[in-house]
Amino acid sequence: MSASVVGATPPVVGRQGNYAGAATRLVAFAADVGASWGIFTIALAGISFAIDLVTGNQVNLGSRQILALVGLIIWEFIYFAYQWSLGGKTIGMAVLGIRVVGKDGDAITPKQAVIRTITLPLSFLFFGLGFLGILLNKDRHAWHDRLAKTVVVYSWDARAARLRWLAKQEPTAPD
Amino acid sequence: MSPLPGSSRMEQLVESIAERVVNLVLDAIDINAIVGQVDMDALLAKVDIDAIVSKVDVDGLIDRVDVQKIIDRVDVDEIVARVDVEAIIERVDVQAIIERVDIEQVIQRVDIDKLVEQTELGTIIAHSTSGVASEVLDVVRAQGVGLDDFVARWVNRVLRRNSEDWPPGPPKLVNPPVPVPALPLEATG
Repeated sequence: MSASVVGATPPVVGRQGNYAGAATRLVAFAADVGASWGIFTIALAGISFAIDLVTGNQVNLGSRQILALVGLIIWEFIYFAYQWSLGGKTIGMAVLGIRVVGKDGDAITPKQAVIRTITLPLSFLFFGLGFLGILLNKDRHAWHDRLAKTVVVYSWDARAARLRWLAKQEPTAPD
Repeated sequence: MSPLPGSSRMEQLVESIAERVVNLVLDAIDINAIVGQVDMDALLAKVDIDAIVSKVDVDGLIDRVDVQKIIDRVDVDEIVARVDVEAIIERVDVQAIIERVDIEQVIQRVDIDKLVEQTELGTIIAHSTSGVASEVLDVVRAQGVGLDDFVARWVNRVLRRNSEDWPPGPPKLVNPPVPVPALPLEATG
């Protein structure tokens, strides 16, 4: 049997559908920022290379700050709004096993996804005051959640994870 | 003393006359008419059935019956062969039975953890679902949940509040509505 990455204690069980906590959401957001930034940078370099290839003029789009900023804002909007409207989760959220749903638990609508994306920067105002609700409110609402009428829940199948962990253990003798 | 001469003939004559008379009487009597005049209900009402039954030794009667011999003489195969099982099955409303079974309760009684631990099922699951990536994801996610709990605990402690009564999640996800099967109002068949 191969060495298991999973430690000696079994993973938590039965959190599917529960409100996601602040730490998981923060890590997922950080992962999304990294992923979207990385994709944007690669795409920008790709476009610069293509223009260079076609026209012969060396263009560095990254140095044109306003253009790059506008492009980044549009890209971030597409990145979050499109993924949230598609399945309620972004790449980072999928990795961390969380997703956005309506406040009753229904799937998020495209309209809610757009509102959530547009209002997301509001939560960063006043030193991230809008995110405090994740820690303080009983339904873990950030400002953009409240405006879009959404919540973030755990979506990963912890029970399947536990079964995988149990399966890695040596079979015990029956009683 | 010697019998009188001719007594034997007299006896024969008397016997034949008696026989003839009896036959004539019997021919003249209408048995059906007599039976018809008997009030059978009244007769039966006078019979104490309970007293008769109480006098019967049922245990003794049963003891005298060789049940095994009776059973041996019964051809069960032939009886079963004459039963139309298909017709019986068709009359059973399987759907109604299934709807009345509480599947959730049955599943809850199965100790899946123990099942996985003690059987080859665990190996099958491990081979079919595990990969380093999924294990890493499990760990990252579990660590995240652990950290969430840790942070929430400390926030509650600092704010001196009890969040045990708070809803764990959106109502449709943590308390999904369970459809209650309607019982059939009329017996089928």
